[in-house]
This record gives sequence, C-alpha cells and structure tokens, in this order.
Amino acid sequence: MESLSQLLLFLVVFTDFAVLGSSRLSACIRAVALQGLLLGLLPPVLFGSVSLHVLALAVGTVLVKAVVLPAFLRWAIREASVRREVDPLVGYLPSLLLGVIALAASFAVANVLPVRAGYSDLLIPAALVTVVIGLIVLITRAKALTQVVGYLMLENGIYLFGLTQLQRVPFLVEVGVLLDVFVGVFIMGIVVFHINREFDSISAANLTRLHE
Amino acid sequence: MILSALGSLGALVVAAPVIPGVATKTRALLTGRRGPPLWQPYADLRKLMRKGATYSTTTTWAFRLAPLAVVATTLLASAIVPLDGRRGLVSFTGDAVAFAYLLGLGRFLLVLGALDTGSSFEGMGTSREVSFASLVEPGLFVALVALGVATERLSLTGMFGMELWQRWPVVAPSVILLAVSLFVLMLAECARVPVDDPSTHLELTMIHEVMVLDHSGPDLAFILYANALKMAVFAALILDLIVPRAALGAWGSAAVLVGALIASGIAVGIVESSMARLRMPKVPLFIAGGTALGLFGLILLLQ
Amino acid sequence: MIGIVIGIFFIGVALMLAGAVAAGVLRRHAAADRIFNLLVLGGCLTSGAAAVAVLITGTRAAVTVPSSAPGGNWTFALDPLAAVFVATTCFVGACCVAFGTPYLAEERAHRPVWYAHTVFAVLIASLTLVVTAQAVVPFLIAWELMAIGSYLIIVFEDEKADARRAGLIYIVATHTGTLGLFAMFASWGARASDWSFAALAAAAPTLPHHGGVILALAVLGFGFKAGFVPLHFWLPPAHSAAPAHVSGLLSGIVIKTGIYGLLRVVTLLGGSPPLWWGWAMLGIGVVSGVLGVLWALAQHDIKRLLAYHSVENIGIIGIGIGLGSLGATYGHPGIAVLGYAGALLHTVNHALFKSLLFLGSGAVYRATGTRDMEVLGGLAKRLPYTWVAFFIGATAIIGVPPLNGFVSEWLVYVGLFRSAQSRDTLRLAALGVPALALIGALALACFAKVSGVVFLGHARSASARDAREVPRTLLVPMFVLAGACVLLGVAPGFGILAVVDVAATIGGGTPNATPEALQVVRDSAWVSGVALALLALLAAGWLVRRIALRGRVVRAVETWGCGYPLPSPRMQYTASSFAAPLLSTFGRLSGVVETSSASAFHTEPVDLVLDRSAIPAWHWVRRAAMRLRPIQQGRLHIYLLYVMVAVVVLLAYLALASPR
Repeated sequence: MESLSQLLLFLVVFTDFAVLGSSRLSACIRAVALQGLLLGLLPPVLFGSVSLHVLALAVGTVLVKAVVLPAFLRWAIREASVRREVDPLVGYLPSLLLGVIALAASFAVANVLPVRAGYSDLLIPAALVTVVIGLIVLITRAKALTQVVGYLMLENGIYLFGLTQLQRVPFLVEVGVLLDVFVGVFIMGIVVFHINREFDSISAANLTRLHE
Repeated sequence: MILSALGSLGALVVAAPVIPGVATKTRALLTGRRGPPLWQPYADLRKLMRKGATYSTTTTWAFRLAPLAVVATTLLASAIVPLDGRRGLVSFTGDAVAFAYLLGLGRFLLVLGALDTGSSFEGMGTSREVSFASLVEPGLFVALVALGVATERLSLTGMFGMELWQRWPVVAPSVILLAVSLFVLMLAECARVPVDDPSTHLELTMIHEVMVLDHSGPDLAFILYANALKMAVFAALILDLIVPRAALGAWGSAAVLVGALIASGIAVGIVESSMARLRMPKVPLFIAGGTALGLFGLILLLQ
Repeated sequence: MIGIVIGIFFIGVALMLAGAVAAGVLRRHAAADRIFNLLVLGGCLTSGAAAVAVLITGTRAAVTVPSSAPGGNWTFALDPLAAVFVATTCFVGACCVAFGTPYLAEERAHRPVWYAHTVFAVLIASLTLVVTAQAVVPFLIAWELMAIGSYLIIVFEDEKADARRAGLIYIVATHTGTLGLFAMFASWGARASDWSFAALAAAAPTLPHHGGVILALAVLGFGFKAGFVPLHFWLPPAHSAAPAHVSGLLSGIVIKTGIYGLLRVVTLLGGSPPLWWGWAMLGIGVVSGVLGVLWALAQHDIKRLLAYHSVENIGIIGIGIGLGSLGATYGHPGIAVLGYAGALLHTVNHALFKSLLFLGSGAVYRATGTRDMEVLGGLAKRLPYTWVAFFIGATAIIGVPPLNGFVSEWLVYVGLFRSAQSRDTLRLAALGVPALALIGALALACFAKVSGVVFLGHARSASARDAREVPRTLLVPMFVLAGACVLLGVAPGFGILAVVDVAATIGGGTPNATPEALQVVRDSAWVSGVALALLALLAAGWLVRRIALRGRVVRAVETWGCGYPLPSPRMQYTASSFAAPLLSTFGRLSGVVETSSASAFHTEPVDLVLDRSAIPAWHWVRRAAMRLRPIQQGRLHIYLLYVMVAVVVLLAYLALASPR
C-alpha cells in the first residue's frame, strides 16, 4: 500500500506539471480530470480499510472531480468556442521551471512544517506543490477557463492537505472540500459565462476596465 | 458711613460737568485763546434740556432707550465706587464686575441706538467704538484684579478704600503703574485725545461723537452728562489710588474729590493740547500699551 | 417618595416617546400637531417637575432595572447634578417643541414633517436619559440615540448640499468622540467590578496617574460633543443646517451633555483631578472662548454666528470647570464651588438665551426667507415683538446686568479673583480675568453687530422690506424663554441656590459647607438690587425726559446724512464692515479671506480648524494613499500574485519559525 500511495501521489504531481506545460485547453482539462481520479482513489489506498464511508468518499470524489467538473468545463469550451490557449504571461518553459522550484521548495518546507505527516511522507509535499502550481496557473494564464483549471488544482491541493487532518476532523474535511469545489466551480462557471456574454471573449485582461 | 457715601455721590453727580469745562479751558489757554467760561458745560446742559427733540424716522425705541441707559448705568456704576475714600454706596463681593459690565451695558445700548438710525456715519462710529472698547475691557480688568491681589479684597470698596492705604508702602510701585494704566484707559473709554478728538467736526474722524450724531435736546443732554460722569468716576478711581482720603472727614474728602476732578480736567486739557490724535491703526497699540502697564503691575504683585 | 419621583420622571419620558409615535402614526390626522404638542409638552412638564423636586429636596432618586444583556443591570438615577440638566432640558425642549410645530407646519406640503417631529421628541427623551443613566451601557445607548437623532434631524432638508455636508461632518465628529468614550469606559471598567457608575467610582483610586488617561480621553470624547476648540468644527455647519428650533435644542442642550459628561467623570473620580487637567481645562476654555467669539464676529449668516458663539460660551463653561477643578486640587473648596457653580449656572443660562436667539433667527428666517445678515435690516419695525425677544436674548448673552448672563459670569469672576488672592501657584489663574473680559467685550461687539445689522436701520433688500411679523404661536415660546432670562437675572438667588449645592458635591465636598458659597448666595440679593435699581433709574430717566419735552416741539425727520440728499439703504454699514476693524486687529487668526479685484471686493469667513487644518490634512492623507494606488491594478493576475506571495510568505514564516 505504501508504494501504491506513493505512486498515486507521484502521478498527481505529474498531472500538475502536465497542466503547467500544455498549451491546449482540452489537454489541461484532461489532466485535471485524471488528477481528480487519482485523488478519488487516494483515501482507500491511504487508509487501507475499505469501509463504506471511505468507499463512498472515493466514489463521490471521482464523480465530482473526474467526471462532472471536466464535463462542465468542456461544455463551457463549446459554448464559448475556445480552442487554443493564447500565450501565457509567463512562457511555458519558465512556468515549468517555476514548477520545479516549487516542488523542491515543497519538499524542503514539508520537512519543517509543524504538521504530522500522517499516512505518507509524500502527502504534504504533493499537497503543497499542487497548491503552488495551481496558483501559478491562476496567475499566469490569460484565459478565464484556464484560470478555472488552476483554481481546481488549488482545491485539489487543499483536499490533499485535508487528508492529513482526516483523523481529527473526519467529516468536516470531506464536506468542506467537496462543497468548496462545488461552489467554487459553480461560481466560476457563472463568471465565465457572464464574461463570455458581456465582453464577447473569455480574456481576463478585459477585467482591468473595472478597476476604478 | 452711608451719609458720607451719599454725599460724595451727590458731589460727583453735581460736579461731573466740571471736567469737560476745565479741560476745554485749559486747552484754550495753552493754545493762546481765552476759551469758553468754566461753567459752559452746565449752560449747555441747561440749554439742551429746554429744547425740543428731533427723532429720525428710521429709529425705534432702541434709539430712545440709549440716552436713558447711558445715564442710568453710569450713575449706578458710580454708586459702586467708594467716592468718599471709605465705602461705596453699593458694595458686595465681585461688584467690580458689576461696575465694568454696567458700563458695558451702557455702551451696548448706545451702539444699538446709533445703529438704529441707519446712517453710515453712526455705523462707522459704532464699529470703531466696539473695537476699541474690546481692548479697553481687558485692561480695566487687569487693573481690578491687580488691586484685588494687592488688597485681598473682592469689592471696589476694599480695592480703592482703606485696605489699599494700609498696604500702600508695600504695593506702591504697582499701584502707580495701575494709576497710569487707568489714566490711559480713561482717555480711551471717554473718547479723549489721543483716541478720539471731541472737538473735531469731521464725521469721518469721529468715534464717539459720530455715534450720537442724531441725538438732540434732552437726549443729547443725557449723553453729554453721562460722558462727563464717566470721566469723573475714572478720575475718582485714580484719585483713590494716589491720595489717601480715609483719614479726612466727609467734607474733607468731598472737597478733595472736587479738587481731583478739576485736576484731572487740567491733565486731560494738557494732554489734548500737546498731542494730536493717533491714527486709527495706532490706537490699539496705544490701548495695549496701557494694558501692558497694568499687566506689569499685576505681575509685580503676583510675585 | 423617592420611588414616586423617579416614576414621575419615567412617565414623562414615556409621554415624550408616545408623542414621537403619535406624530408618525397620526400624521394624516387633522389634529396631529396638537396631539403631538400636548404629549411632548406634558412629558417635559412631568419630567421637569420630577427634576425640580429633586433639586428642592436634594435627594437622589434611583431605580435599577435588572438586565440580562451584557454590561449588568441598568440603573437610572435623578440626582441633583442630573436634575439641573433634566430641568433645563425639559424647559428648553418644551419651548422648542412649542415653536417647532407651527414653524414646520408650513412645510407639510413638500417635506415629511412628521418625521422631524418624531425624531425631535426621541431626541429630547434621549437627552433626559443620557444624564440620568448610571451605568455604562444605558449611558452609551442613550448617547448614541442622541447622536443619531441629532444627525437625522440635521439632514432634514436633505435636498440642500450644505445640509448633507453638515450631517456628514457631524456624524464623523460625534462618532470619533464616542470612540474616545468607548476607550475611556473600557479602560476604566476593566478595573471595576461591574459596569455601573458606582462601581467605576469605587475603582477610581486604583487608576494610574490619578485617572489621567481617563480624564484625557474624557476631554476628547466629551469635548467633541461640547465643542471645545479645536474639536468644534462640526458645530457651525450642523447648527446652521438644522431647522431653527432644532438648532436651539442642539446649542442649548445637546452640547451641554458633553459638559455633563465631564462633570460626571470628575465626580466619579473623586473630585480632585490632577493639576495638569485643571490648567488644561482653563486654557482650553480661554482659547475656545476667545476664538469662538472672534470667529462668530466674522460670520454673516445669523445661525453660523450663533453656532460659533455657542463655542465661546462653552469656553466660558470650560473656564469655570477648570477653575473649579483647580480649586479642589489646591485645597480651596470655596473656589471650587464658585468655579463649578459658575459653570453649571452658565450651562443653564446659555441654554435659555441661546435657544431664544435661535428661535428668533428662525422667526427672522420664516419672515424673510434668508439667513444672510447682509441683506436684512430694519426688521425692528416689521417684526417688533420678535425684536424685543431677540433684544432680551442678546442683552442676556453679553453678560450684563440686569439679566441672567451676568450672574453666571459674576460667579466665575469672583472665583478667579479669589484664586488670584491665594498664596500658591493658583494665583496664576488671575490671567484668566482679562481673558474673560476680552471674551465679554468681543461678545458685546458680536451681538451689537447682529442686532444692529439685522433689526435696526434700513432694510437692505426687498425680502426685509416686505417681512411680516410671525404668528403668535411662534412668539409665545420666545417670550417664555425671555421671561426666564429676565427672572434669573432679576432674582438670581433661585439659580444660585440651585447650583451651589451641586457644585459643592462635584468638588468632592458636602453641600452648603463653604463660607464663600454662603457669601455668594447672600450677595445675590445685591445683584438683584442692582438689577432692580437699574430698571428704576431707567424709568426715572424716562419720566424726566417726558417732563422736559412737555410743551416742546418734537419732530420726525430723515437721519442726518451730512447734507447728502439721497442716502440709500446699501450705504449703511454692513455686517462685515462693522466687524472689520476688530478682525483686522487679530489678523490671520480671525479666518477671514479677502478676494478683491479692480471692481469687486468680497470677504468670506473660513473655519481655521475645518477648512485650514482638517480638510488639508485629509487631502494630504489621500495624496499619500494615492501613491499606494499602483497596488490596485485591476488585473486579476496581479491580485492572484498577491495571494500567492502571501501564501508563500506564510509558509516560509511557518517553516522558519517552527521549533524544529
């Protein structure tokens, strides 16, 4: 189990970099869907036990993160007729470099954080790096939909972090995280659509006209 | 006691018009003229009381109240001063405040009477009058509080009476300063040179004269008399600071009082014939100078 | 008996609130105004009677309402100090309501007048509750009620931009003051067992620096409400924007709650504040007095002038408080009584004559439609009764005998004279005497200007020429207040007796114990005598003149114009020119801005604190903040970058600061 969980976590980090490096929106969505699947599989693998509670958690996570949300996003793409990504603010290669730095920093920080590692040594670094890469995507991508993807990755990272606290606050983390994801995407969806309708494009740069 | 106070008050009331008469005569003599007789003010008052009155159509009861108020307030104020050197007719704690504020009431009502006529001359006079009076009041109160400190009394009776003479050796320098300060303030308050020239005939240069331009007949008599009475009261105050009268009897102090009135008339006449009137912007400085002398006296006493 | 008294008081308050409700509920009813008047006047009468009963008997009537809200029980008490304020509030409030109802009745068509009545009645009720609250929580609640009520009625004419601006400045100032009060009560209550004033008094000896911090915060918090310079800047706009009867209440009572607060804090702290506080109050009083009246002299709007003049009178009250506090701390109980008694009596007197003057200005506004002095004039002929009432108010406010202003200033003067005679450092208070004299003389100039320019002379414009006397319903409240001024001036014993005992308790002593106080009470008979003698002399002079003029020719002609045949009303001295020599003596301190060109000349008074200090400071802060503007880019990416930087910084902090 130990090696399986390590594999899963490694794959999660890999999907992070996949999103960071891909220029096509559909590739990003597929990567984040894969990430969701991996995240759904994590609790049974980590805890070892396959109780109803854990199974339900896994199934629910997979459904929301790997099926519903990506479908929602793909529908948004069709509605807005977006295909290609425009150039991000920070180029792809520098983004990847930032991601690597983030990975190294996550490992360094995870060792000194006053948080118990819990079930796996990779959990906290994976969580941190997912959060940071999610933030990077949020910041450096121009298209609103890509920013939604970044936000989803951010949520995934928080979910991973929450897994370390599962022993203390069992139910709360799940409900919070799922609701968080749900609400976040819901709002993002509305925003994306409204941006789409108001400004006839999904470029976040147009938001600057509102700054007064 | 009451009788001597009453007697002195009577003497003051009767003898007050002496001062303007003496002052005018002194001024005339010093400038090489013969001048009007000494009793001219009395004759003027008599003449005015026998005349009719002319009232402006613009005026209201405020104009008619003004002369009465000036006489009433000055008379009442003089009742507070210890005119016989021992005791004022009216005497209570803090009557110094009543003294000053009664004169203030007279001034206020005179100003209202002047503004009632709607003339720009009177407006000008009142404007100047209140601005100079605002600077005279603090000076007067400085003198009063200094005397209060010197005599440890709170009534004019104590400040200008026997208690002052018991302490004279100790507080003499300050009291001399206060006497000079009071003389300066008297010139300002009673509208004499160098603050105001009572013999000018140009409305634009008058202060007090122009305020009463429209009064006539008995009203003018009241106002002229009240002015003379105010000068007499100040003269009595200065006299009390310099000459001890408590030892004299009732007749003696009354005689000295009348003598002081004549002396102050002469002093005013000398000042008027030797100085020109100050320019308007310089007058606040002059009054402030008088106040400063008083402050100096006060500070000496507070040590 | 005590229970009955406090019960009657609360019945009065309830009647006032019932009036407030009635004004709203019955607003379409024909008799709404009369019912409102009846209820509120009845309430004021009832509460006022309870207060007078407490003053006469000297007892303290209290009631405690148990409350489960945080802050403990709610205690209300009518003790002699509160009774002075309640009695004044009820009397002045009744007169203002009686004036306000017919005054606003004309505006029914275009404004929700019922709203003004409701808020006004609630304001009066809250004023009585503020001074009777004996625990922190009900005090602050009543305080806020009073502040919000004042704001709501200041912006009554909210279509005018200056009314809105006045309301904004007022609400900012009053809440800054309340913040100071919160700080004061919080730091004080932390040492007390519970939040009642009795517990605060018990905890007073444990305060550091003899309660210095508490007193400093009290000056800040209550000073904003009272209007000491430089915390006064909200007063002129607010008092000139509100309707006349409201301004009367604001100037007469609302700012006095600041004075009440200071006196209550001093009493709770034990009556001997530290020396620096007494000297500071004396200084603040002198500065407020001189600057207040100087700035009043510069105004040409009647209500702004009256508002600045309120600052001057608050300054005189401040001098009294400072003197009282210094007397108590230096160990001269007689001087303490004189100072506090003078301050308290001047509070009452000022409430009477300032509200009278504001009602008068309201009558002028109702008759002419303007508040600008420069276009009025000659109103004494058109509004004869209003002029008489205003004249009595003006004569009272300059503090001359035979009216009530003289009595309170006399008390303060006697206190200052006595302190000059003491042997210790207190004798430096002698310098307060010429300051007070200057204040009095400037006040004389100021009200000569108002009375002369507005009421006397020729009318300067058509609105003044065509003015008509206001109806009797507006005149009666003015004459009631004028009668009170005359009564307290001619028979000052009543007023002095009422405040002397209270003053003694503030100074930490027992009532009626000091010989100086007894002497002052005795000498009030002399003051009364002076007043009566003055009136008698005036009557005698009138008689003499009548006799002298009998049989003589009395003519009526035009005013002497030096031979000029066509004088026009515009040739009269204007308000600005009347005040010009005096203001130029004081130079830049008077806050008058001149703009002149080859063919025009204009002077405008500005407020040195608001327009020259507070607003420029605010602009400077804005400019400095604009330098931080680039942080707000409007670009989503930058904001997200800020978030990420924050997260990274936090993680780094956690990592570096963790004990491992």
